[in-house]
Amino acid sequence: MNTITKNIQELAVSLLRDKTVDIVIGFKSGTVPMSSVPFVAKTTEQARTFIWDTHCRLNLANYLTGRKEKIGIIAKGCDSRNIANHIIENKISREQLHIIGVPCSGMVDKVKIASEFTEEIIEYTEQPDSFVVKTASQTKTLLKKDYLRANCSTCMHPNPVIYDQLAADRVTEPLIENQFADVNRIEALSRDEKWQHFDDLLQDCIRCYACRNACPLCYCPTCFVDESDPQWVGKGTDTTDIRTFHFLRAYHCAGRCTDCGACVEACPMDINVRDFTRKLNKDVFDMYGWEAGLDIKNRPPLDTFNPDDPDEFIK
Amino acid sequence: MTEKQIKIVAFLCNWCSYGAADLAGVSRMQYSTDIRVIRVPCSGRIDAKLILAAFREGADGVWVSGCHPGECHYLEGNYYARRKFILMGNLMEHMGIDKNRVHFSWISSAEATKFAKVAREVADTIVPMGPNDRFVKKAV
Amino acid sequence: MEIIKIKKSDWAGGIDKSRKTYHLFGPVKHKNHHIFRQLENNIYPDMEYMSSVLSPKSVLFPQSQKILVTSADASGKACHIFTPPEQDHTPRAVIGIRPCDAKAVQLVKLNFDTKEYQDPYWCSAFEATTFVGLAVNTPSVLDFSTSAGSGPFAQEGLDVLLVDCKDHYLAKILSQKGKEFLNTAGFNEKEDPKAADQVIQQMKISAEKAICSVIQTQHLKKKTVLELYEAPFWEDIAFSCISCGTCAYVCPTCWCFDIQDETQGKTAVRFRNWDTCMPALFTRHSSGHNPRGEKIQRVRQRFMHKLKYFDDKYDQGIMCIGCGRCVEKCPVNIDIRDICNLMNAYKPEKESDAGEIKGEIK
Repeated sequence: MNTITKNIQELAVSLLRDKTVDIVIGFKSGTVPMSSVPFVAKTTEQARTFIWDTHCRLNLANYLTGRKEKIGIIAKGCDSRNIANHIIENKISREQLHIIGVPCSGMVDKVKIASEFTEEIIEYTEQPDSFVVKTASQTKTLLKKDYLRANCSTCMHPNPVIYDQLAADRVTEPLIENQFADVNRIEALSRDEKWQHFDDLLQDCIRCYACRNACPLCYCPTCFVDESDPQWVGKGTDTTDIRTFHFLRAYHCAGRCTDCGACVEACPMDINVRDFTRKLNKDVFDMYGWEAGLDIKNRPPLDTFNPDDPDEFIK
Repeated sequence: MTEKQIKIVAFLCNWCSYGAADLAGVSRMQYSTDIRVIRVPCSGRIDAKLILAAFREGADGVWVSGCHPGECHYLEGNYYARRKFILMGNLMEHMGIDKNRVHFSWISSAEATKFAKVAREVADTIVPMGPNDRFVKKAV
Repeated sequence: MEIIKIKKSDWAGGIDKSRKTYHLFGPVKHKNHHIFRQLENNIYPDMEYMSSVLSPKSVLFPQSQKILVTSADASGKACHIFTPPEQDHTPRAVIGIRPCDAKAVQLVKLNFDTKEYQDPYWCSAFEATTFVGLAVNTPSVLDFSTSAGSGPFAQEGLDVLLVDCKDHYLAKILSQKGKEFLNTAGFNEKEDPKAADQVIQQMKISAEKAICSVIQTQHLKKKTVLELYEAPFWEDIAFSCISCGTCAYVCPTCWCFDIQDETQGKTAVRFRNWDTCMPALFTRHSSGHNPRGEKIQRVRQRFMHKLKYFDDKYDQGIMCIGCGRCVEKCPVNIDIRDICNLMNAYKPEKESDAGEIKGEIK
């Protein structure tokens, strides 16, 4: 058991024992290699099954929406930013939460790891800076830093922004020179190439909405895709409908997205849906100097304005 | 003529640009016939959904016009709109739609001349681009 | 029973010959995974594939299918009359379908082809299709087909079973349709059926042995519906679910669909699209009432349907063939194997009134 897991378990156990909280939301280990399961502990025994490793990719803030109890929650950097978002958007109150922050050294990309092997991965074991992957015929040790998820490798806020306790020492916050290199690459394409890029990207979309559902920002009681009068998007596999869905899903996250990568993690077809939200993240950063969820005081950019906002594009 | 007629959907704020269109009309000012007007309560009401819906149904261009900054009937609707529009336009361009198919303007109800001028400008940019084939719902 | 030997060097030629009569569908490598799709003339099925990310159910049951078309054009004859669009029912063959996926087609058939009603779209596609299966020599660690009523060499639902023997395939003919397909492809080198079958049997035994994942289903049938329904474990299972439809979309046995109308100009089309019981919208009534408005109800429904109601209604085992797709693809790793075992082993703590009603809920 790694120290973070041990600390998380201890903190969670004491929170439940002292009745500081009613439940603790964290991760337990999954049934297949390179997986984890969001899990709610109500008893101290359950809290002893919490784990922490580089597969805790989903965003636990997603499980807070509308809950009424007093909640303990395990939060890495991005989770904590989404918790801040939730507080700003009145989805949960700060007083209801006891946040166990986990300074995060990045989660690994299971698709990237799997693509290194022609065979199925049957075992995965983690060490501090590396991991060992076993298939039927080979065992390989790989370095974590080479297999970080794309969003983790450009993350500048690995430490929780709000928390009550920390489960480990803070990590150094990296300064990344150009955190939007991926967006720049698409921006450099010609218009037709851009269109083609997104066509290829969305080719496999099966409209399961896992990207939307894994996202802590998507909590509308009725999503626009589910509206029937008017119907904004058809429900079939028409490419325009698929593209419209992805455009609007991303757009609804403008100025709110913390780039946690839960959408990409959840996608069964391994579509990098971040290609949409990243552009918006870059724009709100460039124009309004905004990064979502860094505190619980400032209003998000589309919820406020400045009389001097850029408007050269308006006639 | 078998050529498809270009259609430009104009979402005009009830309190300003729509009035300007009215005034331009009664003043017999000339502007493009490619423009179809939809009256909306405020430019702040315009959402990406509406713009995409216009393209989806076959519009070749969209024009949104509201009150000048500081003159919003609802005080600040157009300030919010401005932030939404720029992000929306950039994302469209990012995905491969020509930004010049979407136009924004501030026109007060007294500015009939500006209305006609902008209408001509909008049409002059969009019409030469020809019919739009992106974000259009294919035949069912 | 006949067994044909197909040299791998003859394989591509035979596939090409069969294209003259059949539309071919098969597994193709696409980006990081394999998908099942129609094969153009220069594309061959990738017979080295492990599993396809989506099941081949879409060959008979496309994700989005036009079922009726009408027009408001008063000058046309068909004005305001809904008619089915033209459909292609020429022969098609699914090459390389895994035995468990073929068994799944048989389970889906129970829904689309009943005594009272035969779904015209599905049934005619089914009639037109020949299933040329490929036995699984090295099963995935997620494969639990042997304990889910199928297996790596199972034959149910197949017209031909191909067994990969390194430099050649052994093709076991299982139906007239299968025989015709092999004839069309020009595969006719007969093997001594006894000897060849022995080879297949040997390979079958070793493949089945290699399966390391097993579910327990033996007590499910005897359990009463309400006991399972009220079991305490559903709340924990449902917690992590994000109500996406991934499990149902990748599942070869999930058959639910939604009807949607779309209009454009003067044309209107009625589609049926895959749907899933996981989002709340699935059961929301037009009144606003929703009998399965809570996530726990929907998660329970999925597993009760697959593992209990289905067997109670059709007496054909569980509605799962153990392909492992949902286990692999669920974003939060909800594992049907664990849930099945939980349900199978479940004993209510105390006798409840509910226990007296014996599995009659439909």
